[in-house]
Amino acid sequence: MANFNLKDRVIECKIVYYGPGRGGKTTNLQYIFKAFKKQTMGEMVSINTKGDRTLFFDFLPLGLGKIRGCEVKIQLFTVPGQVKYSSTRKMVLKGVDGVVFVADSLQVRRKENLLSLRDLQQNLAEQNNSIFKIPLVLQYNKRDLARESIPLMPVELMERELNGKLKVPSFPASALKGTGVRATLQECLKLTLQHLHRELKWAR
Amino acid sequence: MGYQMADQKQIKLLVKEAELYRTQGLLEESKEKYLKVLQLIRENRQFQNNKKAISVIKGKIRGLEKDLAEIDRETEAPELSGNLQDLIKNLFSFSQDKDAAEIEGAEALAKFGQYERALTEFNRLLKKGVFPLIAAKNILRSHLALSSPDAAINQFREWLSGDLLSRQQLRNIRSFLEYVLRKKGVRATLPEVARESSQKSEDMESEGSFLDICSIRLRLVNGPCKGSVKELEVTFQSGHVISLIISAKDEDLLESFVPGIRLKGVHFFSSIAVFRADATISEYTRIKTGPRRGDYVLSITIERSDRLDIL
Repeated sequence: MANFNLKDRVIECKIVYYGPGRGGKTTNLQYIFKAFKKQTMGEMVSINTKGDRTLFFDFLPLGLGKIRGCEVKIQLFTVPGQVKYSSTRKMVLKGVDGVVFVADSLQVRRKENLLSLRDLQQNLAEQNNSIFKIPLVLQYNKRDLARESIPLMPVELMERELNGKLKVPSFPASALKGTGVRATLQECLKLTLQHLHRELKWAR
Repeated sequence: MGYQMADQKQIKLLVKEAELYRTQGLLEESKEKYLKVLQLIRENRQFQNNKKAISVIKGKIRGLEKDLAEIDRETEAPELSGNLQDLIKNLFSFSQDKDAAEIEGAEALAKFGQYERALTEFNRLLKKGVFPLIAAKNILRSHLALSSPDAAINQFREWLSGDLLSRQQLRNIRSFLEYVLRKKGVRATLPEVARESSQKSEDMESEGSFLDICSIRLRLVNGPCKGSVKELEVTFQSGHVISLIISAKDEDLLESFVPGIRLKGVHFFSSIAVFRADATISEYTRIKTGPRRGDYVLSITIERSDRLDIL
């Protein structure tokens, strides 16, 4: 849950990038780190394995400045996508305020997307949270690979399979090229801050 | 001829796919595509004698298998720098209460495999008297995670001869250690905790007949959090009465507990079993001295009915 300092009027919230392994969560953060230079409040921290897979998490602190009379600070995290790091994902998800689910558009990752989304649902439920209530945005990543004749799932199919019940905002993207990254984050921030305003009444 | 051209095109596409998956770290998917390429080459009369192509593809598959095996072997968390450990400690302590936040930070270090540093933190907290039972159990867990059951046993012996922990706490820790050692397949005879001689024999009997409870899970039936499920650590136990400390800052939770309220189907977690029983909030007092001054001690009486279910 977000930390709201009423006296200094500072709100700090946590957004987690979730999704199957090698789907582009870290790439999203790397792009944000470059593109949002003015807003970054420190270095991006990545704790990876030798094979450059996320081992624990990536972390990027952002400062959005004053919004409606309140200093807004954001902590962006990624989780390790590999199935075996389940307990780490639960840990990183603790106290989450908003989620970006980065789905892999590659046809060969269809099942992994579904499993990861179910994993997110279960882990949120364990924390007395609900995938249907938390601010959530879907991103269909790697759309640029269509041009290289790599089999991708059509956006409509992904929308049906992943977003049929959730009905949350979704964005096609290419984290590598930066397409859709900004829009995804902005939408998630908007939903998260609106949600927190309903809960904490932080804005003036 | 037409078929062969189509196969050639398909092989090219498959190789391109396999290479892309490899560069993206999707090693299983890459291997699968290369295996398909190999199958197509073998089935195609034009290519089946192309030993060079077969050997190249086989080499790719071997390389992928090697990388996959390496990933499978990556089980141990690396020792991180002090700065990263500090970051983990800070990022994963959420409580407003300083002591609870310190425990959370130390637990996070252990969960991220930073056992040496976690040991340092838990030992410091234990000496300060911050959640001694939780700190002590985590010290033992960390020793065991570092593959040193002997260190855990020696630590327990050390606590037995010191005064950091009460006898009740030591008994709780002993059964916890016994359980975790057994789970790890380690056979060890742990020294017994001497009984307090001044206690009434009646109390001793009732205490002895109850398991040492570490934590409880209950559904709140009152107050602003009504309906939500909470897990709370037990800080003290005397027989069938357990005590929990609730931070004064946790106002919503404080409002949920009123003496006399009956709690149905509470889950009680001990180191050897989980059981479910009804309970009653028997007492609710404010701590007047010590590091937890201002916080509340909540006493819960477990009903000793026959309906006790071992889960």
